Amino acid sequence: MLIKLKSSALNGLDGSIVEVEVDSYKGLPGQSIVGLPDTSVRESRDRVKFAIINSGFDFPPGYFTINLAPGDIRKEGPLYDLPIAVGILSSSEQIKSDLFDETVLLGELSLNGDVRPIAGVLPICISAKKSGIKKIIVSKENADEAALVSGLDIFAVNSLKETIDLLNGNSTLAPHKIDLLKFFNTSPDFDFDFSEVKGQQHAKRAIEIAAAGGHNILMIGPPGSGKTMLAKRIPSIMPPLTIDEALEVTKLYSVTGLLNEKNSLITKRPFRTPHHTTSNIGIIGGGRIPRPGEVSLAHHGILFLDEFPEFERDVLEVMRQPLEDGKVTISRAMATITFPAEFMLVATMNPCPCGNFMDKVNPCVCPPYKIQKYWSKLSRPLLDRIDLHIEVPRLKKDDLFTLPNGDNSKIIRDRVQKARKVQELRFKNTNIHSNSRMLPKMMREYCRLETEAEEILKSAIYHLKLSGRSYDRVLKVARTIADLDDSEIIKAGHIAEAAQYRSLDAKGADLSV
Amino acid sequence: MGKESFQIGITGEIIAVEYLTQKGLSVIDRNFHSQQGEIDIIAKDGDIIVFVEVKYYSFRSYGSPLGSVRKSKRQSIIHAAQTFLYKKNLRQINCRFDVISIYRDSGGKTNIDYIKDAFYVN
Repeated sequence: MLIKLKSSALNGLDGSIVEVEVDSYKGLPGQSIVGLPDTSVRESRDRVKFAIINSGFDFPPGYFTINLAPGDIRKEGPLYDLPIAVGILSSSEQIKSDLFDETVLLGELSLNGDVRPIAGVLPICISAKKSGIKKIIVSKENADEAALVSGLDIFAVNSLKETIDLLNGNSTLAPHKIDLLKFFNTSPDFDFDFSEVKGQQHAKRAIEIAAAGGHNILMIGPPGSGKTMLAKRIPSIMPPLTIDEALEVTKLYSVTGLLNEKNSLITKRPFRTPHHTTSNIGIIGGGRIPRPGEVSLAHHGILFLDEFPEFERDVLEVMRQPLEDGKVTISRAMATITFPAEFMLVATMNPCPCGNFMDKVNPCVCPPYKIQKYWSKLSRPLLDRIDLHIEVPRLKKDDLFTLPNGDNSKIIRDRVQKARKVQELRFKNTNIHSNSRMLPKMMREYCRLETEAEEILKSAIYHLKLSGRSYDRVLKVARTIADLDDSEIIKAGHIAEAAQYRSLDAKGADLSV
Repeated sequence: MGKESFQIGITGEIIAVEYLTQKGLSVIDRNFHSQQGEIDIIAKDGDIIVFVEVKYYSFRSYGSPLGSVRKSKRQSIIHAAQTFLYKKNLRQINCRFDVISIYRDSGGKTNIDYIKDAFYVN
């Protein structure tokens, strides 16, 4: 008997409905799966067979053909185990159900018949809802994630047996519900606090500006001056994710398979810290069927690159496009997929390979050509895209005892949030969230300067040899500083502060030649 | 094949036929040969035609009996089964491949492992 069920396939961040057709004829026993399955889908027939037998059902005799339609989309992953098993049992009339038209089945089976979690449940459920699906059957571990999509009945099953009882109408299983607000009402809790960092007021101020406007920041300083310490505390001053942002980020984590039962919605801004040996594919995303890379996993969050020049030059250069556009398009033979990548880049570096260049206490031992080589890793176009360059000098030995701790994270976060509110109002009804992503026409509208500010900007362009792009960046940073200052118009002081964070435009050029 | 091992094979098949009959299967053919393979026992289990491969060891051997039914052996059994169905003009009928392993342990006792639905085409 021909059985038709529904499941889903993932294409980047979008799901699409896949119809699973199962039919059999009498003859030598066997199974074949058609419809562009990859190896993990083909393997499902062995899992399905044992799952059926070990759940106490008969594996029906005959030759089964399983068709995954439409036949021109590649199917990958073990998520078809559950629909295939249910299809085989239905075609031998061990399941009788009229729910197949409105239900999507997703799940990997273990040999003993347990339903295991799969990746990409959230995007699948979002697209299933759009195509008029009413019910989703998933594993317990995936249930919270699926229930993030409202308007669907989510049934969380532990095993094939439970699924069959549910479909046969012998089960009292109620749809799984979660309270979305519950995820957001918990007060933020961070391991680190800014009050733990002594001194470095200049750096803290720059970081506050970066967080307030989503600007990229590069910290330069000798080893042990507190760069990494500062960077690790940035999440504690970032504003919390909105529900829409959280869903966007969760989708990316879902397709990468990084969600689990306890952590089914990402509510904290991502803080990604890839090691400097990471490949360019690891950073940007890729693979035979493209997967998100670090830039996308840091979407709406922070990408922290410690020891910036230690990264391969290729790796640094591939980030140029996402830094500018906030998204990456990855083309492979199998698929072309665009992943969002609106991240805030936080990078640290030493001023030279030994780390002590320009340090007053410890002399630098690097020969000039080594310093030049070190700096030449960072191209001008890349530095242009980093809004704020700050120096984090080593503290004097007494400073560690005498300097005040400064504001704690909560106080800074409140200021940041206030500035973000202003931006939210400014960019409402657009898909822009922060000053750093402003489009040119918005800059003309929102970055109005005082006359005096204009003069300062002109001289900064001349003296700092600013490129067109870094000029834009200065304006955006100045806009954020003005927002922190609660000022409608950009004043001279704001421009002056913004321009001083471009120190590397002039000095960096000198260092590298 | 030496006369001795042929004799041993025959003994194994006799035990297997006895065992299957006990289980309620009716044997319809034995030692069916096609060009590329052979089937030890063909039986009917209700509506289903069962092709049985008999593995007989006169001593305890290692591993599962299925382990010694390797891919090439399975292919030859499948080929013979197809020939059988074609020759007898049997269509639209469910089939199954079983393996039965028989061995004598050190005490001289006969042990039988019967594996239903042991493998399938492709």
